[in-house]
Amino acid sequence: MMKLFGITFKNRVFIASGVFGFGLKYKKVSNRVGAIFTKGITLEPRKGNAPPRVFETASGLINWVGLENPGVEKFCKDILPKMKKLRTRIFVNVAGSEVIDYERIVERIGGQVDGFELNISCPNVKKGGVAFGQDPKIAASVVARARTKTKLPLIVKLTPNFCDPLRIAKVCIGAGADGISLINTLYGMVYDIERKKPLITGGLSGPAIKPFALYCVNRLRGLGVPIIGMGGIMTGQDAYEFLLAGASAVAIGSAILRDPYAPLQIIKELKKYPPPPSSPSERGRIKEGEKKEYK
Amino acid sequence: MVRRVTIKKKEWFTDDIFGLEIYLPDIDPQPGQFFQVRVSTTYDPFLNRPISVASYKGGTMLMIIRVLGRGTKILSQKEAGEDLRVLGPFGKGLRVKKKKSLLIAGGIGVAPLLFLAQKMHGKRIEFDFVYGAKREKDLIKKSHILQIAKHAIFVTEQDRGKMTVLGALDMLDVESYDIAYACGPKTMLIELQKLNLPIPVYAFCEDFLGCGCGLCLGCAIMYKGEYKRICEDGPVFELKGISFDE
Repeated sequence: MMKLFGITFKNRVFIASGVFGFGLKYKKVSNRVGAIFTKGITLEPRKGNAPPRVFETASGLINWVGLENPGVEKFCKDILPKMKKLRTRIFVNVAGSEVIDYERIVERIGGQVDGFELNISCPNVKKGGVAFGQDPKIAASVVARARTKTKLPLIVKLTPNFCDPLRIAKVCIGAGADGISLINTLYGMVYDIERKKPLITGGLSGPAIKPFALYCVNRLRGLGVPIIGMGGIMTGQDAYEFLLAGASAVAIGSAILRDPYAPLQIIKELKKYPPPPSSPSERGRIKEGEKKEYK
Repeated sequence: MVRRVTIKKKEWFTDDIFGLEIYLPDIDPQPGQFFQVRVSTTYDPFLNRPISVASYKGGTMLMIIRVLGRGTKILSQKEAGEDLRVLGPFGKGLRVKKKKSLLIAGGIGVAPLLFLAQKMHGKRIEFDFVYGAKREKDLIKKSHILQIAKHAIFVTEQDRGKMTVLGALDMLDVESYDIAYACGPKTMLIELQKLNLPIPVYAFCEDFLGCGCGLCLGCAIMYKGEYKRICEDGPVFELKGISFDE
């Protein structure tokens, strides 16, 4: 057990957005991780990008899924009631093509979940996504406006693509973010040498990006809010490295594509390591029982 | 759950097509279903490879694989007695219908149809088998197909004036069948769709898969106006509902 944002979590191993749907298929796994971050939810349903959507690269893969999801209404109606039965913390990954989308989604879902992850870092959409996360003014605006709609933990998922996540993190925290998660996938591309055109352009993930992800997490340590570190975590040792670098918890992504049960193995392996040095941020910005007004 | 199994037997059918037999007694795979096979215990290549069930009998499963890239090359270097890690079965299994059927295989697409044929033969369902490949030696399991199919036609692009598997369909009275099942390269499925056969045709589809179990949404196929997951909603779809260009 551990505490972040004033709420308790079973453990420090979470499931990253986008690789586990809504946690309803492998419930044994869902019920044993600290938290699940849902597939990105947008205001309207999105059918996603045209295939090919995944392509293997050296020690990882590029994805070009494009936030395929049923939209917030269908999510609230059909999926959330089932998710609520899971014995884990649920964070909704919120994605928007306009700044206003984020607050509207947060408002629509309301207090039915344990928190939100504002996705201002998806590289696979034409509007919004990573562009919001590269611009400190827009990032701050997304956070500040979503903040007015919820008292639940608000985590911002950041990109290191062509911007300094430290700078963006600072403005997001200033705008009311309770925590930071990073890194989202990196820009990546594979060329088709026969057609002399890109075969796929999208987000690179997997062990190939782990050293850079660790660097980014380490760069953001000491900001006073919990960091959820992710990027190529395959083993308990990988997870522990992120905790040493300053993360309070880790999220598992691409490892799940090799094995949906990977998080359980990582939880088991992580138990072999001594608890990471405690960080003052783990007390969280929202203390238990404390009521905060965000006006 | 990743299962660790031992390769019971390895067999080369051609210079680039091989079979691996493993023992998995506690499953009941259906035609169309596949396994995600771990290529490497390191992270490169990273993803598992989807391999369809080509035969299942008494707990022994056969996977027939063609060496196409790095992953299948590494799998081809495994030998009997070595360990293999597999996950599955995944995909919607096909419920074999008691209808007079036509099986249309192109190249390595024969693998899942061999399993369908095995199931049909077990249920005494009558079927004919049309099977094409580039070279004569690429036609695998010919004698087995001749044994269990009512009629079988084998074509290669080397003989009969470069006849393709679809060209061979002209030799048949397609309307005399109730249903057809096809598996082969995408180009073959596209051409088959254009033929607009007067019977329902079900296509066994393939793609690069991410997870293989419906989580990552990486293997999309446009089917009846919406993206479906090949791994979870398929891999068998009614051919006329597929939009290959979206």
